[in-house]
Amino acid sequence: MKSKISFQLRAVALALLAGGVALTSAFGAARVLRRVALRTSHQQPTPEVWFETPTPTSPVLVKEGRTLFLNNCAHCHGIDATGDEGPDLHGLEVSDRYIANRITHGIKGEMPSFAKKLHRDEITRLTAYLRSLD
Amino acid sequence: MDSTLWAKAHGATTHFPIALVLVSFALDGAGFVAAGRPVARDLHAAGFWTMVSGAGGSVGAVASGLLMTKGGVLGHDALRMHHLFVWPAFALLIALATWRAVVGRNLTRPMLGGYLVVVATMAALMTAAGYYGGEMMIAR
Repeated sequence: MKSKISFQLRAVALALLAGGVALTSAFGAARVLRRVALRTSHQQPTPEVWFETPTPTSPVLVKEGRTLFLNNCAHCHGIDATGDEGPDLHGLEVSDRYIANRITHGIKGEMPSFAKKLHRDEITRLTAYLRSLD
Repeated sequence: MDSTLWAKAHGATTHFPIALVLVSFALDGAGFVAAGRPVARDLHAAGFWTMVSGAGGSVGAVASGLLMTKGGVLGHDALRMHHLFVWPAFALLIALATWRAVVGRNLTRPMLGGYLVVVATMAALMTAAGYYGGEMMIAR
Protein backbone atom coordinates (compact mmCIF):
# COMPACT_ATOMS: atom_id res chain seq x y z
CA MET A 1 0.00 0.00 0.00
CA LYS A 2 2.77 2.37 1.08
CA SER A 3 4.85 1.59 -2.00
CA LYS A 4 1.76 2.13 -4.20
CA ILE A 5 1.24 5.63 -2.79
CA SER A 6 4.94 6.33 -3.12
CA PHE A 7 4.81 5.23 -6.76
CA GLN A 8 1.81 7.46 -7.43
CA LEU A 9 3.51 10.45 -5.80
CA ARG A 10 6.62 9.85 -7.85
CA ALA A 11 4.51 9.68 -11.01
CA VAL A 12 2.83 13.01 -10.18
CA ALA A 13 6.17 14.62 -9.30
CA LEU A 14 7.70 13.41 -12.56
CA ALA A 15 4.70 14.69 -14.51
CA LEU A 16 4.91 18.13 -12.89
CA LEU A 17 8.64 18.20 -13.56
CA ALA A 18 8.06 17.34 -17.24
CA GLY A 19 5.42 20.07 -17.56
CA GLY A 20 7.74 22.58 -15.94
CA VAL A 21 10.67 21.59 -18.13
CA ALA A 22 8.49 21.88 -21.26
CA LEU A 23 7.32 25.36 -20.30
CA THR A 24 10.80 26.52 -19.28
CA SER A 25 12.24 25.19 -22.53
CA ALA A 26 9.58 26.99 -24.57
CA PHE A 27 10.22 30.28 -22.75
CA GLY A 28 13.98 29.80 -23.07
CA ALA A 29 13.65 29.23 -26.81
CA ALA A 30 11.37 32.28 -27.03
CA ARG A 31 14.01 34.38 -25.30
CA VAL A 32 16.66 33.32 -27.81
CA LEU A 33 14.31 34.00 -30.75
CA ARG A 34 13.47 37.45 -29.39
CA ARG A 35 17.12 38.33 -29.00
CA VAL A 36 17.78 37.34 -32.60
CA ALA A 37 14.75 39.34 -33.79
CA LEU A 38 15.66 42.42 -31.75
CA ARG A 39 19.20 42.35 -33.11
CA THR A 40 17.76 43.14 -36.55
CA SER A 41 15.55 45.95 -35.19
CA HIS A 42 16.58 49.51 -34.45
CA GLN A 43 13.77 49.89 -31.92
CA GLN A 44 14.16 49.63 -28.16
CA PRO A 45 11.32 47.59 -26.65
CA THR A 46 9.01 49.22 -24.12
CA PRO A 47 7.66 47.10 -21.23
CA GLU A 48 4.38 46.31 -22.98
CA VAL A 49 5.78 46.01 -26.47
CA TRP A 50 8.53 43.71 -25.17
CA PHE A 51 6.28 40.74 -25.85
CA GLU A 52 5.14 42.06 -29.20
CA THR A 53 6.10 40.37 -32.42
CA PRO A 54 8.89 42.59 -33.69
CA THR A 55 8.46 43.70 -37.27
CA PRO A 56 11.70 43.30 -39.22
CA THR A 57 12.85 46.90 -39.24
CA SER A 58 15.88 48.70 -40.57
CA PRO A 59 16.50 52.32 -41.61
CA VAL A 60 16.00 51.24 -45.24
CA LEU A 61 12.64 49.60 -44.48
CA VAL A 62 11.52 52.61 -42.45
CA LYS A 63 12.50 54.96 -45.29
CA GLU A 64 10.60 52.88 -47.83
CA GLY A 65 7.68 52.66 -45.43
CA ARG A 66 7.61 56.44 -45.11
CA THR A 67 7.40 56.79 -48.88
CA LEU A 68 4.49 54.35 -48.94
CA PHE A 69 2.88 56.24 -46.06
CA LEU A 70 3.14 59.58 -47.86
CA ASN A 71 1.64 58.09 -51.02
CA ASN A 72 -1.21 56.17 -49.41
CA CYS A 73 -1.95 57.34 -45.88
CA ALA A 74 -0.77 60.92 -45.35
CA HIS A 75 -3.85 62.56 -46.85
CA CYS A 76 -5.93 61.15 -43.97
CA HIS A 77 -3.42 60.57 -41.16
CA GLY A 78 -1.40 63.74 -41.79
CA ILE A 79 2.00 64.17 -43.39
CA ASP A 80 3.74 63.50 -40.05
CA ALA A 81 1.19 60.82 -38.99
CA THR A 82 -0.05 62.96 -36.11
CA GLY A 83 -3.60 62.68 -37.40
CA ASP A 84 -5.94 64.72 -39.57
CA GLU A 85 -9.13 63.08 -40.79
CA GLY A 86 -7.72 59.78 -39.52
CA PRO A 87 -6.20 59.21 -36.06
CA ASP A 88 -2.68 59.89 -34.79
CA LEU A 89 -0.50 56.85 -35.49
CA HIS A 90 2.26 57.57 -33.01
CA GLY A 91 2.92 55.09 -30.20
CA LEU A 92 0.53 52.43 -31.47
CA GLU A 93 -0.08 49.80 -28.81
CA VAL A 94 -1.47 47.11 -31.07
CA SER A 95 0.14 44.06 -32.65
CA ASP A 96 1.77 44.06 -36.06
CA ARG A 97 -0.89 41.61 -37.19
CA TYR A 98 -3.57 44.07 -36.12
CA ILE A 99 -1.91 46.88 -38.09
CA ALA A 100 -1.56 44.65 -41.16
CA ASN A 101 -5.19 43.59 -40.96
CA ARG A 102 -6.40 47.17 -40.61
CA ILE A 103 -4.41 48.17 -43.68
CA THR A 104 -5.55 45.12 -45.62
CA HIS A 105 -9.23 45.09 -44.69
CA GLY A 106 -9.81 48.70 -43.65
CA ILE A 107 -12.51 49.75 -41.18
CA LYS A 108 -16.08 49.81 -42.41
CA GLY A 109 -17.21 53.40 -42.96
CA GLU A 110 -13.94 54.83 -41.68
CA MET A 111 -10.98 53.57 -43.64
CA PRO A 112 -10.72 51.94 -47.07
CA SER A 113 -9.15 48.55 -47.72
CA PHE A 114 -5.67 48.57 -49.23
CA ALA A 115 -5.73 44.86 -50.09
CA LYS A 116 -5.55 45.50 -53.82
CA LYS A 117 -3.13 48.39 -53.59
CA LEU A 118 -0.46 47.19 -51.17
CA HIS A 119 1.36 43.88 -51.21
CA ARG A 120 2.38 42.02 -48.08
CA ASP A 121 5.99 43.22 -48.20
CA GLU A 122 4.80 46.80 -48.66
CA ILE A 123 2.61 46.44 -45.57
CA THR A 124 5.68 45.17 -43.71
CA ARG A 125 7.57 48.31 -44.77
CA LEU A 126 4.63 50.48 -43.77
CA THR A 127 4.45 48.75 -40.39
CA ALA A 128 8.20 49.27 -39.94
CA TYR A 129 7.67 53.00 -40.48
CA LEU A 130 4.73 53.12 -38.06
CA ARG A 131 6.81 51.29 -35.45
CA SER A 132 9.55 53.88 -35.84
CA LEU A 133 7.16 56.64 -34.73
CA ASP A 134 7.52 57.47 -31.02
CA MET B 1 12.40 32.43 -47.17
CA ASP B 2 8.64 32.80 -47.31
CA SER B 3 7.74 35.19 -44.45
CA THR B 4 4.51 33.29 -43.81
CA LEU B 5 6.22 29.88 -43.62
CA TRP B 6 5.98 29.59 -39.82
CA ALA B 7 2.41 30.86 -39.80
CA LYS B 8 1.53 28.12 -42.26
CA ALA B 9 3.50 25.56 -40.26
CA HIS B 10 1.71 26.63 -37.08
CA GLY B 11 -1.66 26.31 -38.78
CA ALA B 12 -0.69 22.87 -40.07
CA THR B 13 0.66 21.51 -36.77
CA THR B 14 -1.61 23.05 -34.19
CA HIS B 15 -4.74 21.07 -35.05
CA PHE B 16 -3.20 17.66 -34.42
CA PRO B 17 -2.74 18.05 -30.65
CA ILE B 18 -6.18 19.65 -30.29
CA ALA B 19 -7.90 16.79 -32.12
CA LEU B 20 -5.79 14.05 -30.50
CA VAL B 21 -6.36 15.34 -26.97
CA LEU B 22 -10.11 15.59 -27.47
CA VAL B 23 -10.21 12.07 -28.96
CA SER B 24 -8.04 10.77 -26.10
CA PHE B 25 -10.46 12.27 -23.58
CA ALA B 26 -13.41 10.67 -25.39
CA LEU B 27 -11.69 7.26 -25.55
CA ASP B 28 -10.65 7.24 -21.90
CA GLY B 29 -14.08 8.56 -20.91
CA ALA B 30 -15.70 5.71 -22.82
CA GLY B 31 -13.29 3.27 -21.18
CA PHE B 32 -14.18 4.68 -17.78
CA VAL B 33 -17.88 4.15 -18.46
CA ALA B 34 -17.28 0.67 -19.88
CA ALA B 35 -15.15 -0.39 -16.89
CA GLY B 36 -14.97 -4.18 -16.45
CA ARG B 37 -15.74 -4.97 -20.07
CA PRO B 38 -12.98 -6.27 -22.37
CA VAL B 39 -13.31 -3.22 -24.63
CA ALA B 40 -12.32 -0.86 -21.78
CA ARG B 41 -8.70 -1.98 -21.94
CA ASP B 42 -8.53 -1.30 -25.68
CA LEU B 43 -10.15 2.10 -25.22
CA HIS B 44 -7.59 3.05 -22.57
CA ALA B 45 -4.74 1.82 -24.77
CA ALA B 46 -6.03 3.99 -27.64
CA GLY B 47 -6.54 6.87 -25.18
CA PHE B 48 -2.94 6.53 -24.02
CA TRP B 49 -1.43 6.62 -27.50
CA THR B 50 -3.58 9.51 -28.68
CA MET B 51 -2.57 11.46 -25.57
CA VAL B 52 1.13 10.76 -26.10
CA SER B 53 0.80 11.64 -29.81
CA GLY B 54 -1.02 14.84 -28.89
CA ALA B 55 1.74 15.80 -26.45
CA GLY B 56 4.38 15.08 -29.09
CA GLY B 57 2.46 17.11 -31.64
CA SER B 58 2.10 20.03 -29.24
CA VAL B 59 5.89 20.47 -29.20
CA GLY B 60 5.80 21.07 -32.96
CA ALA B 61 2.84 23.43 -32.61
CA VAL B 62 4.58 25.46 -29.89
CA ALA B 63 7.88 25.54 -31.79
CA SER B 64 6.25 26.78 -35.00
CA GLY B 65 4.20 29.32 -33.01
CA LEU B 66 7.32 30.71 -31.36
CA LEU B 67 9.13 30.93 -34.68
CA MET B 68 6.10 32.66 -36.19
CA THR B 69 5.93 35.29 -33.43
CA LYS B 70 9.74 35.58 -33.30
CA GLY B 71 9.72 34.54 -29.67
CA GLY B 72 6.65 36.47 -28.56
CA VAL B 73 5.15 34.72 -25.54
CA LEU B 74 2.34 37.18 -24.74
CA GLY B 75 1.53 40.00 -27.18
CA HIS B 76 -1.63 42.07 -27.50
CA ASP B 77 -5.36 41.52 -27.78
CA ALA B 78 -6.38 38.13 -29.20
CA LEU B 79 -2.76 36.98 -29.33
CA ARG B 80 -2.40 37.72 -25.62
CA MET B 81 -5.57 35.79 -24.84
CA HIS B 82 -4.37 32.92 -27.04
CA HIS B 83 -1.10 32.76 -25.14
CA LEU B 84 -2.71 33.05 -21.71
CA PHE B 85 -4.57 29.82 -22.43
CA VAL B 86 -1.87 28.10 -24.48
CA TRP B 87 0.94 28.06 -21.91
CA PRO B 88 -0.94 26.36 -19.05
CA ALA B 89 -2.53 23.97 -21.56
CA PHE B 90 0.87 23.05 -22.99
CA ALA B 91 2.44 22.45 -19.57
CA LEU B 92 -0.57 20.39 -18.46
CA LEU B 93 -0.56 18.34 -21.66
CA ILE B 94 3.10 17.38 -21.28
CA ALA B 95 2.54 16.64 -17.58
CA LEU B 96 -0.50 14.45 -18.29
CA ALA B 97 1.23 12.47 -21.04
CA THR B 98 4.25 11.94 -18.79
CA TRP B 99 2.06 10.83 -15.90
CA ARG B 100 0.20 8.44 -18.15
CA ALA B 101 3.45 6.98 -19.48
CA VAL B 102 4.87 6.52 -15.97
CA VAL B 103 1.70 4.96 -14.53
CA GLY B 104 1.24 2.67 -17.53
CA ARG B 105 -1.28 -0.08 -16.88
CA ASN B 106 -1.34 0.48 -13.10
CA LEU B 107 -4.32 2.75 -13.57
CA THR B 108 -6.98 2.43 -10.87
CA ARG B 109 -10.51 3.76 -11.29
CA PRO B 110 -10.11 6.73 -8.87
CA MET B 111 -6.82 7.66 -10.54
CA LEU B 112 -8.50 7.52 -13.95
CA GLY B 113 -11.37 9.68 -12.69
CA GLY B 114 -8.95 12.34 -11.45
CA TYR B 115 -6.97 12.10 -14.67
CA LEU B 116 -10.10 12.67 -16.76
CA VAL B 117 -10.99 15.78 -14.74
CA VAL B 118 -7.52 17.25 -15.37
CA VAL B 119 -7.65 16.27 -19.07
CA ALA B 120 -11.05 18.00 -19.35
CA THR B 121 -9.56 21.15 -17.78
CA MET B 122 -6.61 21.03 -20.15
CA ALA B 123 -8.90 20.41 -23.16
CA ALA B 124 -11.00 23.44 -22.12
CA LEU B 125 -7.84 25.59 -21.93
CA MET B 126 -6.72 24.30 -25.32
CA THR B 127 -10.13 24.95 -26.86
CA ALA B 128 -10.10 28.52 -25.54
CA ALA B 129 -6.60 28.98 -26.98
CA GLY B 130 -7.87 27.64 -30.30
CA TYR B 131 -10.81 30.01 -30.18
CA TYR B 132 -8.56 33.05 -29.81
CA GLY B 133 -6.23 31.64 -32.47
CA GLY B 134 -9.23 31.55 -34.80
CA GLU B 135 -10.21 35.06 -33.76
CA MET B 136 -6.85 36.32 -35.00
CA MET B 137 -7.47 34.72 -38.38
CA ILE B 138 -11.16 35.56 -38.85
CA ALA B 139 -12.20 38.53 -36.72
CA ARG B 140 -9.55 40.83 -38.16
